[in-house]
Amino acid sequence: MGSAKPSLKRKASNIEANAAAAAKPSSPAQDSDVDDSGDENFDGLLDGVLDDDEDSEDNASEFDQSAEEYGSEDDIASEDIPTDDEDKLALTNGIHEDEDDRPNYQIEKDANGGIRYVYDEIDPVYDSDDSDAQGPVNTIGNIPLSFYDSYPHIGYDINGKKILRPATGDALDSLLDSIELPEGWTGLTDPETGKPLNLSRDELELLRRVQMKEVPEEGYDMYPDTVEWYTSQVEQFPLSAAPEPKRRFVPSKHEAKRVMKLVKAIREGRILPYKPPEEREKEQEEEEEVHYDLWADETPRPPNVMHIPAPKLAPPGYDLSYNPPPEYLPTNAEKKAWEETDPEEREKTYLPQKYDSLRRTPAYDQFVKERFERCLDLYLAPRVRKNRLNIDPTSLLPKLPRPEELRPFPTVASIEFTGHEGRVRSVAIDPSGQWLASSGDDGTVRVYGLSDGKQQWQAKLSSEDPIDVVRWRPGQDALILSAAVGEDIYLMIPSIMNPELEQASRAVLDAGFGYASNAKQQTTATGARKDPPAKWARPGSRLEDEGVLLKATVRSPIKTINWHRRGDFFCTVSPTGQRSAVAIHTLSKHLTQIPFRKLPGGAPQTASFHPSRPLFFVATQRTIRCYDLQRQELVKTVQPGCRWISSFDIHPSGDHLIAGSYDRRLLWHDLEMSIRPYKTLRFHEQAIRSVKFHPGSYPLFADCSDDGTLQIFHSKVVNDLMEGPTITPVKMLSGHRVVSKLGVTDIAWHPHHPWIASASADGTCRLWT
Amino acid sequence: MGRIKKKGEAGNAKNYITRTQAVKKLQISLPDFRKLCIWKGIFPREPRNRKKASKSSTASTTFYYAKDIQFLLHEPLLQKFREQKALEKKISKALGRGDVGDASRLERNAARPEKTGKPRYTLDHVIRDRYPTFVDAVRDLDDCLSMLFLFANLPSTSTVPAKMIARCERLCLEFEHYLIVSQSLRKSFLSIKGIYYQANIQGEDVLWLVPYKFNQRVVGDVDFRIMGTFVEFYMTLLGFVNFRLYTSVGLKYPPKFDQNKDNEAAELGAFKIEGNHAATASIEPAQLTSSDSVAQPDPKTQAEVNKLIRQMKDTAVEGDKAEADPETEESVNAIDKFEPAVPGGDVLPQPSYSGSEPGSLFANCTFYLSRETPRQSLEFILRAFGCKRIGWDSVLGEGAYTTNELDPSITHHIVDRPVIQAATEEEEGGEDNQTSQKLGPNQRIPGRIYVQPQWVWDSINDEELKRPDEYAPGAQLPPHLSPFVQNTQGAYDPTLPLKDQETEGEALEDSDEEEVEEEEDDSLAVKKPRATADGMDVDASDDDEDDADDGSFGGFSEDEKSAGENDEEPDSESEELRNQQELEAELSGKPVKQTKVDSRSQKLEAKKKLAQKAKEEAEEIERAKGMLSKKKRKLFEQMQYTNNKKSAEDQKLRAKRRKLEKQKARAKA
Repeated sequence: MGSAKPSLKRKASNIEANAAAAAKPSSPAQDSDVDDSGDENFDGLLDGVLDDDEDSEDNASEFDQSAEEYGSEDDIASEDIPTDDEDKLALTNGIHEDEDDRPNYQIEKDANGGIRYVYDEIDPVYDSDDSDAQGPVNTIGNIPLSFYDSYPHIGYDINGKKILRPATGDALDSLLDSIELPEGWTGLTDPETGKPLNLSRDELELLRRVQMKEVPEEGYDMYPDTVEWYTSQVEQFPLSAAPEPKRRFVPSKHEAKRVMKLVKAIREGRILPYKPPEEREKEQEEEEEVHYDLWADETPRPPNVMHIPAPKLAPPGYDLSYNPPPEYLPTNAEKKAWEETDPEEREKTYLPQKYDSLRRTPAYDQFVKERFERCLDLYLAPRVRKNRLNIDPTSLLPKLPRPEELRPFPTVASIEFTGHEGRVRSVAIDPSGQWLASSGDDGTVRVYGLSDGKQQWQAKLSSEDPIDVVRWRPGQDALILSAAVGEDIYLMIPSIMNPELEQASRAVLDAGFGYASNAKQQTTATGARKDPPAKWARPGSRLEDEGVLLKATVRSPIKTINWHRRGDFFCTVSPTGQRSAVAIHTLSKHLTQIPFRKLPGGAPQTASFHPSRPLFFVATQRTIRCYDLQRQELVKTVQPGCRWISSFDIHPSGDHLIAGSYDRRLLWHDLEMSIRPYKTLRFHEQAIRSVKFHPGSYPLFADCSDDGTLQIFHSKVVNDLMEGPTITPVKMLSGHRVVSKLGVTDIAWHPHHPWIASASADGTCRLWT
Repeated sequence: MGRIKKKGEAGNAKNYITRTQAVKKLQISLPDFRKLCIWKGIFPREPRNRKKASKSSTASTTFYYAKDIQFLLHEPLLQKFREQKALEKKISKALGRGDVGDASRLERNAARPEKTGKPRYTLDHVIRDRYPTFVDAVRDLDDCLSMLFLFANLPSTSTVPAKMIARCERLCLEFEHYLIVSQSLRKSFLSIKGIYYQANIQGEDVLWLVPYKFNQRVVGDVDFRIMGTFVEFYMTLLGFVNFRLYTSVGLKYPPKFDQNKDNEAAELGAFKIEGNHAATASIEPAQLTSSDSVAQPDPKTQAEVNKLIRQMKDTAVEGDKAEADPETEESVNAIDKFEPAVPGGDVLPQPSYSGSEPGSLFANCTFYLSRETPRQSLEFILRAFGCKRIGWDSVLGEGAYTTNELDPSITHHIVDRPVIQAATEEEEGGEDNQTSQKLGPNQRIPGRIYVQPQWVWDSINDEELKRPDEYAPGAQLPPHLSPFVQNTQGAYDPTLPLKDQETEGEALEDSDEEEVEEEEDDSLAVKKPRATADGMDVDASDDDEDDADDGSFGGFSEDEKSAGENDEEPDSESEELRNQQELEAELSGKPVKQTKVDSRSQKLEAKKKLAQKAKEEAEEIERAKGMLSKKKRKLFEQMQYTNNKKSAEDQKLRAKRRKLEKQKARAKA
């Protein structure tokens, strides 16, 4: 199409050129220029205005314009645009025929005279089918045309020739132009050529279509029927002629594996068939209501030792009632006090309230909080097992004997026994309770009537040595007094009693004389003649007249004498005696034995027999050792814990022991319980000299001290193993003078009465009743 | 020589473990640990020596028994917790990747008990482990019931899902049904906190508290997650307990639940109790025939009652209960009373009642609850004590025996309104009224007993029907006393008259006060000068006493002397008083009040004696205290302190009551 059009236009221009010949003088300037373009291949129809054939459209349009101009000049009134069109159509048709008919060669004669076809030179017109040649003819580039305003040309063509400015009509022309608008007039100037830019009908149509947003090309079908190049129809011929492989017909192992996995999961219940969520929820609910007897096979199990069950909340009391008795309601002051205290410090978390009917009772606003706190307590509070003693507190108190019950005990000094010169060292009351014997530094033993305080008898045993100890022989059958002076033990029968008793006493003392000689013979059998432990003899006629009937001499000075309860044995202790410090004497045989070859624990201080059992106690400086006499072995060692034991005594029941010490302690021992003291009493300011239990039925014991006082204690001993003895101090007896730091030296209980006798360094004895 | 002992390898250091250590050892989070502790009943301990137990720091920490934690290590729940944790991690990971689909799929698997009230795990084994026998579980039911009843009354929130509440409510109602059927409710108490109930289940007393039916206010910081954990456990526990209880009385568990009825607030009526055997047909109230004789109103209503009963028999209105006939059963199961045939044998204690007596307290009554009464608690209590026919206003919900207030079969009408006037002159008109459904606000139907709700509670606590006139509408109610208080010797008991429990001194003081008051009444005019004289006297005597006290430390003799002084003083005082009175009498021209003076001196004598005795006792105690060791003495003093405190409280109560009684007496006069 593109190729046909320019050619068509060219022809038209050719034709119009003829018509324009008349108008030629109107543009002389153009004519002169046209002359230059002389090389015309065409038939010479073209005049000078047509400078170049190649500039197809511009020239053509120019021609058109000019033609039209002339045309319009010719028939302004009559001629119309359609008629002009018809003319053109007719013209173009004519040209077509013209071109087809005319041969494009000339027949000439060649040198041989033959016919020679000389073809026209082929004009390789650019506009034929070369689109590149359509480019702008004017080569000035993209610069404003106004630069050439001062020049007659408006640019250069491809060959460097000037393109002349098209002739512009004069004012009249432009006026005419403005009056009569030619077809395709736009009022614009073509920037390349400088001529007015006119648009053709087709172009206008094109513009209109674009403006109206129609398809620019007429007759273009936007929606043609689809051509099914690829159809769903099965092709008749397979792409590959290979036979179907076997695997297409064999079930896949891999798939089977995966299926089996799913099957397994379904069977195990891991995959459940899909259900909408609501349905699933409902199902779950039903599922959860599983009820069975949890304790079907219950077996009681003992609770864990460490488990502490949570304590239950206390049941509500009267004051929690919605309608409590009026006395439980708080007064205004109480209410105020409650409100003012910090909520954490309140004893009760609520205030008692009274509502006169149930409908007025409101909700308890602390309910959730209290429950929550209970929850916290249950899992957060450390539980401790506390032993609450749900007992009457008074049951804790020891059952103290009432002061009235403690009576009687000695309270006042009733009788004073005088006569001794210098200190009295020892005092003793005879088993019948009638006589009191004392001995002192003056070397005399005196016997007083206990009831009247008169001296009944006395014997001077020694002129220089003091008499350290005087003791009555136990037993009512005879009345024998024993005293120790230095190494000598004297046994006396004071002439104060009735003759029968005196006779019996003498018999007791004389019974051993035969045995003594026998014993001597036995001891000499060892060969070397050895000193006997003691020599038993008559003390001499002077003393015998006084009533001192027997004398036994041991190796070292004796400090204490203690009789066995039956009155046949007595033991003596001489602290300096070393190996033979402790001696046991048999009165009926006039025999002396030394039971211990060696005694550990320092020098022995005192010794005593157990009141009922065959046990023998020896006190060394710090310990009291208990020996079984029958089996001849150590039973136990009591450790009072004091520095230096002065004396000790055994409770008549035999289970308890008191020890006094020079370091001012009085120690009570429960022999069954411990070797350590049960009670340590420290009430004295000076050393304790002597301690004594009451031998009779009174639960009393006493001690005496160098501070000149006696202390009387009440001791209740019960047979209950769980309850220890109760010791109550009851009385402090003072009255003795302290002479050269020595106070009361010895005490002796009355066998039947709660009376006590004391010997003092001030030379007197006193009876306290 | 033994091996050298290292520190921290035995004893306290080894036996106790801090909470942080425990959590680390179990490899769970702290909330999970908390849950586990709550369920397994693990609680902190107080080590005997804190310093040894906490190896390094002295900061206060919580200690657990190491063996307890060891025990938790074997807990299957631990694995569940870990799985849950892993799942949460997966979800958060998926969300982090932006993989919403994956996350939602995982989320669907996650159990969210705090949202749904339904965990994936079960606590059955935990319960079995904690309570090896059923009786153990019953013993620990107090907290469980209180908690579940509270939750049954809570509004549902984000932390307390509605499903959980519904389940709690159901369990509670089921439990109540058991109590009704087995008639094992014993006591109940209206307190300001709520209503306490006590039941005897298999020999164990269970006491629980139910809040009043109001919206619960949540004050303070209450962590519902912790409570929820407890509730989760308790729900499971009560489920199993209910099952066991139901099967023990031959019922089927779970009972049939009618959702529709429940929606209409039928509460107890929403359940249909069935026997385990299909044969046990539903029976109707057994005591109906006997009720005829008791109801005893006029023959007209009697006839109507009979008619109604017949109707009921036909329709079997509420014969849902499938319990065995109690009367026939009782004759077999009841404990026989052993009476000693020959005197001289030991008396063995026997259970006081054989189960039938309290259970049939209300058996012959028909109740009607008016609108303002708490229906739930009343219905439960009445049913538990044998009442079969309870009607109420239809606004109170479904399940009533009758909603007709005028039903002639009603014997007791429970009202809580201020005053209801008897429609006396409208007796005739009352008949006409029967056509209309409602009575006027202050009208009363003849032939029935009107009581306030407290009557029900007092009746069941005393196991007898109380006199209704004390509990009539509008009447001043007698005090409602707690049936749970066990009166100890010497403690104040409001049920006894004051005279019986006063101490001697109080009684004396009391009479003294009375007299002073009397005298005040008698001689107001001369009161003032006498009072001044009295004051002087008192001062003087005080001084003397002080002196005596100071001297009494010296020894016995002085003490005696002071006692002598004391002896003399009151005499002189009384003489002075007598003189004074004589003078007064002379002035006013009245005869001398000889008798009063005599009684007065007697009282003074008694008072003096009492003081002497108290003093002696105190001395005795002081002496004995001296012999105690320090530790024991402290213990003794502590005990005495608490005892004194208690007795002081009692004394205060007695004083208050005395005052009140006096006021009352004066008001009467």
